[in-house]
Amino acid sequence: MTGTMTGAAALLLDLLLVALVAFAGWAALAGRGVFRAVVFFIAYGLLVALGWVRLGAVNVALAEAAIGAGLTGVLLLATVGRLERAGAARDVPPVRGAAAWVPALAGLGVTGALVWAWFALPLPESPGPALAEALPRSGVENPVTAVLLNFRSWDTLLEAIVLLAALLGVWMLGRDGDWDAPLGLRQHVRPGGVMAGFGRVLPPLGLLVGVWLLWAGADAPGGAFQGGTVLAAVIVVALMAGVATPPGVSALPLRAALVLGPGVFLGAGGVLAALGGGFLTLPEAQAKVVIVAIEAALTLSIAVTLAGLVLGPPTAANGTAEGGAEPNANGPAAGRRA
Amino acid sequence: MSGWLGGWLLLCAAGVLATLGAALWRVWRGPARADRMMAAQLVGTGGVAVLLLLAPAQGWAALDVALVLAILAALAAVGFVKASTPDGAGAPEEADAPADPATDSARGDRDVA
Repeated sequence: MTGTMTGAAALLLDLLLVALVAFAGWAALAGRGVFRAVVFFIAYGLLVALGWVRLGAVNVALAEAAIGAGLTGVLLLATVGRLERAGAARDVPPVRGAAAWVPALAGLGVTGALVWAWFALPLPESPGPALAEALPRSGVENPVTAVLLNFRSWDTLLEAIVLLAALLGVWMLGRDGDWDAPLGLRQHVRPGGVMAGFGRVLPPLGLLVGVWLLWAGADAPGGAFQGGTVLAAVIVVALMAGVATPPGVSALPLRAALVLGPGVFLGAGGVLAALGGGFLTLPEAQAKVVIVAIEAALTLSIAVTLAGLVLGPPTAANGTAEGGAEPNANGPAAGRRA
Repeated sequence: MSGWLGGWLLLCAAGVLATLGAALWRVWRGPARADRMMAAQLVGTGGVAVLLLLAPAQGWAALDVALVLAILAALAAVGFVKASTPDGAGAPEEADAPADPATDSARGDRDVA
């Protein structure tokens, strides 16, 4: 009796979740108005994170909540504001004809292929026989961390470097004359106001959660990317609230923080290779120490890199970067009504 | 934890989730930007509640997801407020910044064309 009730409640919950995810996804694509689409994208990320928890993939849920709904949402909100200030925001009329149904058919095709794969492929065992056999020798108990930092650490190393390359790409969008300026816009708030107070309340809490996620990641869901994203949020909130001023691109501490993670990762690989084990082949006895050291360095670098991606390229003054010479000289309010 | 309690927790989680449907409707309808953003914040708060209700059944790691949702939702609110000020870097409470999102609907400043 209790079993059927639990099953029925779980089914109800899952059906509701699927309906909400599908609606949020459809609304983000189908509705008019960029701002509404962005808000639906944020809501979609939150709901998908719930879905990942329901599927037991808490690592993925953490990443989706932090990156998908959180940082990307802030990035998109800032983009909408920037487009409007530059007078470039406009509502696009609904797409009709072939331009609408060709992508729709392609999307349906991908969905059909995924459904087919779901039925055609054997259900994977968790964590899988090969992984279950190797996991005790990895130094950590979280299978995701074991794969990311031990069995397939090459992928993670290259990902960290890709992230750095992305930040360099964003910096290249800055103007020559602005190169020595601090990163992003000059933030200003009312001293003692709500925003300034918020910038002092949230960062300590976020710091605690970020470090906890890094530490817990060895044996439970969490890890460098999840912890680093939360720390990036802490940095962004502190800078937006005017608690601190962002550094310029040539600031040595900033550059050191950016290369620390990939540097420690490469250095560990080199040392292990020199000791005869092979590049990034972790010895069983020291595996946990090496993994935690690499993850700690990676967390700091990921946090600073993601915060830099959200802040944007170096900008001398808010006016010049927002297209002061553009025809839209009558201010942001006109752009917002476009 | 006994079986009946798990069922009730799931049922409560489904109930909270159902209220998020109303929040999504408000994101759709708006009309002011602050309405949409606050509704998204409500989805975040409701999501935290759902995760807290799921944690006994799904494993306590779900609480970490709830913590992350709570912190990142606060960041989204800050990002929204920042983006709605004239230069994208201010705060509405500054005396020289008239763009208060709360007054958007009063001014008829709707983003739907």
